[in-house]
Amino acid sequence: MKTKLFFAFAAFCCAFLAYGTYQGLVVAPTEETMGDVQRIFYVHVPAATVGFTLFFVNFLASIFYLWKRSPQADALAATSAEVGVVFCTVVLITGPIWARYAWGVWWSPWDMRLNTTLMLWLLYMSYLILRRSSSAGSTSVLASSLAIFAFLDVPIVYMANRWFRTHHPSPMIGTPNLDPRMQTILFINMLAFLCFGTLIAWFRYEMERTAQKINIAHVQRAAGGAAGMLLLPAMFFATPSHVNPHAYLWGGYIAAWGIYLGYLFFLMSKLARLKKEAAEVEAG
Amino acid sequence: MSAPFTKLAWTNVSKDLRLEWRSRDVFNSMMFFALIVVVVFSFAFEREDSKPVMGGLIWIAFLFSTTMALNQSWARELRNGVLDAYRVSPAPAEALFLGKCLGNFILIVLLECLMAPLFVIFYNLSSVGPLWQLVLVTLLGTWALVVNGTFFAAMSIRTRNRELMLPLLLLPISIPAVLSMVTGTAQVLSGDGSPNVQLKFLAGFCVIFTTACFLLFETVLNAE
Repeated sequence: MKTKLFFAFAAFCCAFLAYGTYQGLVVAPTEETMGDVQRIFYVHVPAATVGFTLFFVNFLASIFYLWKRSPQADALAATSAEVGVVFCTVVLITGPIWARYAWGVWWSPWDMRLNTTLMLWLLYMSYLILRRSSSAGSTSVLASSLAIFAFLDVPIVYMANRWFRTHHPSPMIGTPNLDPRMQTILFINMLAFLCFGTLIAWFRYEMERTAQKINIAHVQRAAGGAAGMLLLPAMFFATPSHVNPHAYLWGGYIAAWGIYLGYLFFLMSKLARLKKEAAEVEAG
Repeated sequence: MSAPFTKLAWTNVSKDLRLEWRSRDVFNSMMFFALIVVVVFSFAFEREDSKPVMGGLIWIAFLFSTTMALNQSWARELRNGVLDAYRVSPAPAEALFLGKCLGNFILIVLLECLMAPLFVIFYNLSSVGPLWQLVLVTLLGTWALVVNGTFFAAMSIRTRNRELMLPLLLLPISIPAVLSMVTGTAQVLSGDGSPNVQLKFLAGFCVIFTTACFLLFETVLNAE
């Protein structure tokens, strides 16, 4: 029953994502000043939404864990942090690709919005490292305490846009500056990516529960972003004037999907290993 | 019969300071490390162009010395199972935490007072803005580092790689505070802009994270 529901949801997500991507790449109107590169917006913003949502889930699950000490909450916290880091990686990679074309630089070091997003990524990476390196018994408690600290920094990220000067475009949703067609397509993509995030998190959660049950102490975790990063160096030395804006657009989409698929591949291989170990445990 | 909270905290502070006064093992290494940073960077930068980076430089020296001190402050309690004794004792864990924080705070502030003349000598430093603002930025910034640092040092000694974990946990959490310390210090030193926003931000940061540390310390101390 659960498996059927999972596959039905997976199929739905694929269709929804394909529809959203088609809308973003083909149907959406071309932006006046930035041209086609602006379409990166349809992967960048949804990834940020999903990432921040997952970090919030991580925060709630951690509080619930400290309160009730339920292993399910702990699994959910571990899952949401890891999947959140993957989405945050996409934000941090698609952002610079867009910025290189629109601003002429990959990164603007004194921009608070950029720094705070990077900071969030670092925080949740340190969370994952803590989970890996603390001794088996105390992992969950220490990690949930750190998660609460990490989340205290999130409001700062949200407010950074208003408190400090920034190059980053301010949130335009619901304002008359955003073309209503763009807004609709953005919402479609946000929903599609939220479904996608839920799907991956669900998958990862089931694995975490299996891992908990088999009690594997040496569960491997990875940033999951490595695959996408390999694509980037080639573009670093190109100057915007000689490069077709479509290169940046495709670069953004390929990097984002490279990371998502790379992470899925990582999960699949991990699942295969878990299944093997579960079989060994049962046999032994 | 239970001793009042402040008295317990004070007992911890005086114990830590007395231990430090007699051995001086943390303070000496911390002081020497900060001295090395100051000297090495004074070779690396020309005196004329060092002014804009001074804020960052000062805090790099303090940040890393603080990390060293914090690791030691808990490592001392691991020997002879003192930490386990704390866990079974009926004294509130928060008193222990407050005592540790104050002890570390006093130590770091002392270090900063001793380092200040060195910065003046090596970098020909002078403050354009009012000095009290610099003192306030330093005190708030030090508290922000110490309170989070003491908490995360207690957390990192529970992990397998102990001393290695502290910077990994402490630095990302403190980035907002470090940014505003550095900006605030640079603003006072160069005199362009008032550090009021940074002071408010640091004060807010201190309040939020001190509260969080106090609420969660007992959980972390007893995590098993």
